[in-house]
Amino acid sequence: MATDVAVQRYREWYLLLLRQYPQPFHDRFGEGMAQTFHDLCRERRDAGRGLFGLALWVFFETLAGIVRENTIHMTQMQKTVLRMALVALGLLMVPLIASRLAPGWNWPVGTFVFTYVLFFGTGMAYALIARKMGAWAYKAGVGLALVAGFVLGWATMVHMSETENPVNLVYFGVLAVGAIGAALARLEARRMAWAMYAMAAALAVAWVITQVLVSDTPAGPVWNVGVMHGGFVALFAAAGLLFRRASLAGLK
Amino acid sequence: MAKKEAAPAPLTPAVLHILLALSTGERHGYGIMKQVEADSQGKVKMGPGTLYGSIGRMMEAGLVRESDKRVDPEMDDGRRIYYELTGVGRAALGAELKRYRGVVAVAEGRLAYGY
Repeated sequence: MATDVAVQRYREWYLLLLRQYPQPFHDRFGEGMAQTFHDLCRERRDAGRGLFGLALWVFFETLAGIVRENTIHMTQMQKTVLRMALVALGLLMVPLIASRLAPGWNWPVGTFVFTYVLFFGTGMAYALIARKMGAWAYKAGVGLALVAGFVLGWATMVHMSETENPVNLVYFGVLAVGAIGAALARLEARRMAWAMYAMAAALAVAWVITQVLVSDTPAGPVWNVGVMHGGFVALFAAAGLLFRRASLAGLK
Repeated sequence: MAKKEAAPAPLTPAVLHILLALSTGERHGYGIMKQVEADSQGKVKMGPGTLYGSIGRMMEAGLVRESDKRVDPEMDDGRRIYYELTGVGRAALGAELKRYRGVVAVAEGRLAYGY
């Protein structure tokens, strides 16, 4: 006859097995599957029967499910990679065509390759992070944060190539705050909101450092630079609000 | 010319059984398994791998959805996710049963003539 200790032990082994599912599937159904297995074990225990036969059947049946879901996941991943490679190629057409038409725009091949890698990387980051949650607000928050981060990083690289002032590296610090914040938040909506607010605050600090303390003014009046910084701060804060909305929707 | 509406693809046995189990009300994973077993007079035993894999695909297809997280008074060890049919799921179940009736009618007709 099965005991509570045996039920607990089998449950722990089953939890280890469930970790072999693709991460999104595990996050979505892992808890429910563990609970269902626990219910089945308890039914056996209450009927005064052993658990070995049940555990063997469920473990094999789940193993087949793991193979199936991992195969589907890999196929979907290949499709996502192909789709993002094509989207990045489409976006690359913009500077490629513009370099043919605009006088004085002559990027070397390496810059095109680097730009393609950035487009592809940003697109893949969106595809991988946005599927973490089904809520539209979460997907919109991820998209907004990535686009704002991409433009900020790009503008910083261009500005640094023109001024060669290392103080502008603080803007990469803002991106690092976002990346570290997202990693610490483990992409969970409520904590992602805080990561975005931290990015907005870090950008405001970066503005004070570059414009007020060091006074590195790029082309254009300080007022324009202030508006541009304010715009990025508003974008990151808006992304934070979208994540906040997604977390509240997830609680309902 | 009016576009002819494509007939829905036949459902897999697992999906049909889950739809049937949920047709009388919302249930959690274990509840669905027990209902499937009862509906099939013990002939179909669905494990968690098949059940949750099917539920995942059914949710993507809009056939079922999570209804709520709450405690089952008979199973007091945690909050459970309940699943329920959507309008699309109910329509798919109806269409599949209609298809089955058609197949049965053809089969009975042939058997009556000794084919």
